[in-house]
Amino acid sequence: MERLPEHVPPELVTSFSLYSSPEMVPTPMGDPQAAAAKALLAGPPIVYTPLATRDGVGAWVVTRAEDQRRVLQDGVTFSSFRNTFSAAIGESWPLIPLEIDPPDHSAWRSLLNPLLSPRRVVALEGQVRARAVELIEGIKARGTDCDVMTDFAFPFAVNIFLQFLGIPDDRLMEFVGWANDMLHSTPEARTAAAHKVLGFLDDLAELRRREPADDFMTFVLNADIFGRKMTPHEVRAMSILLFIGGLDTVAAAIGFDLYHLARFPEDQKDLRENPQKILLAAEEFLRAYATITPLRTVTADVEVNGVLMKKGDIVSCPSMVANRDPMEFPNPDKIDLQREDNRHTAFAYGPHRCLGSHLARREIVVGLEEFLARIPDFRIKPGTTPMSFGGYVFGVENLILDWAA
Amino acid sequence: MKIIVHRERCQGHARCWALAPDIYDLDDEGFVVPGDIDVKPQDEDRAWRAAKSCPERALTVEK
Repeated sequence: MERLPEHVPPELVTSFSLYSSPEMVPTPMGDPQAAAAKALLAGPPIVYTPLATRDGVGAWVVTRAEDQRRVLQDGVTFSSFRNTFSAAIGESWPLIPLEIDPPDHSAWRSLLNPLLSPRRVVALEGQVRARAVELIEGIKARGTDCDVMTDFAFPFAVNIFLQFLGIPDDRLMEFVGWANDMLHSTPEARTAAAHKVLGFLDDLAELRRREPADDFMTFVLNADIFGRKMTPHEVRAMSILLFIGGLDTVAAAIGFDLYHLARFPEDQKDLRENPQKILLAAEEFLRAYATITPLRTVTADVEVNGVLMKKGDIVSCPSMVANRDPMEFPNPDKIDLQREDNRHTAFAYGPHRCLGSHLARREIVVGLEEFLARIPDFRIKPGTTPMSFGGYVFGVENLILDWAA
Repeated sequence: MKIIVHRERCQGHARCWALAPDIYDLDDEGFVVPGDIDVKPQDEDRAWRAAKSCPERALTVEK
């Protein structure tokens, strides 16, 4: 462990880590969001953890919604510049636009926002629904149980992404494997997977330079930014982000939602009988089972809620913790599927608000609608145990559902 | 009732539009269209609820 910086008051140091604390490591039948929120909301609004990232770097942890809003809305004081992906291949460059700061950030977002705007997503709904139906009907034809993540959530999310990028389906499971290796595996596997994804995206860009099509990669190659075309490097740094962003997070959300519905049969019954409630319920699931933790770097000494943060400090804003802040959400630990005023931060606050949030919402709602419409009353398959975990993207695995009569 | 639109705070969550698309309009990028909104009496409840749903607090209600 590194030595504590001198400006960190000892009374603000927490031993809690999103990576290594109980229930953050893979846990049978766990509830990692509730565990993280319980541990951190019991303490001061802002604490310091010596174990904030998987690389063991220390950081401030901002736990309350109001303070997270303050940090995440100020992209000048709190920089997003990082090299999360490129570090895995021994390089150092930011993902676009996730790890880009103002003023360039807004130019990149203006280019990309229309592609994933709420109205654009309405136009994508047909293909999202068709894919959900196809996967679920396949599951039904095979029997009366399924592994939610591998049979439904991952193939569903990956397929939508491939369609968006304009890639045929036949390499789907290969992509799922790369995504899994990049996010949840050993450093060696991460590096190997990162190279494979980069190689794939480079080949795709090359193909679309020769043979343009009506797809995302062709759009990227033709787009103007700062009055010029993108460099090959920028094409990479942006396509990689869409690859990472659209896979794991949407799949994890669907996993947690079906995990909840398997554990709470009354909620399952309610949504099954009243599918019009799914739209609002999906927001509550996003609040209660948020999976991401934005990280920022302080660019100039600043005080937040009485705590002095110094230039160079890392600040982490776990969304699943702010989403259970009682000052923002009355009775936060109650999962109320009809909750209103649900200003959750599952997609973060501020200029880096998740670019894909509108598509993600559609995928989650459509996925739940079709799953509940087509699969009868389901439960966790007797004799199996789902494993949940915290970390950089929270998740659940080995979620085997069973609906045998 | 009037909705004050703090356009500079809007980050395109589009929750207002999801709850009341006839009251809140979005531009091509998905941001709320600038300009305060005069709300018809029969729309006040929905306009208020949509304003309260903004994660960035970009919408405030003026009676």
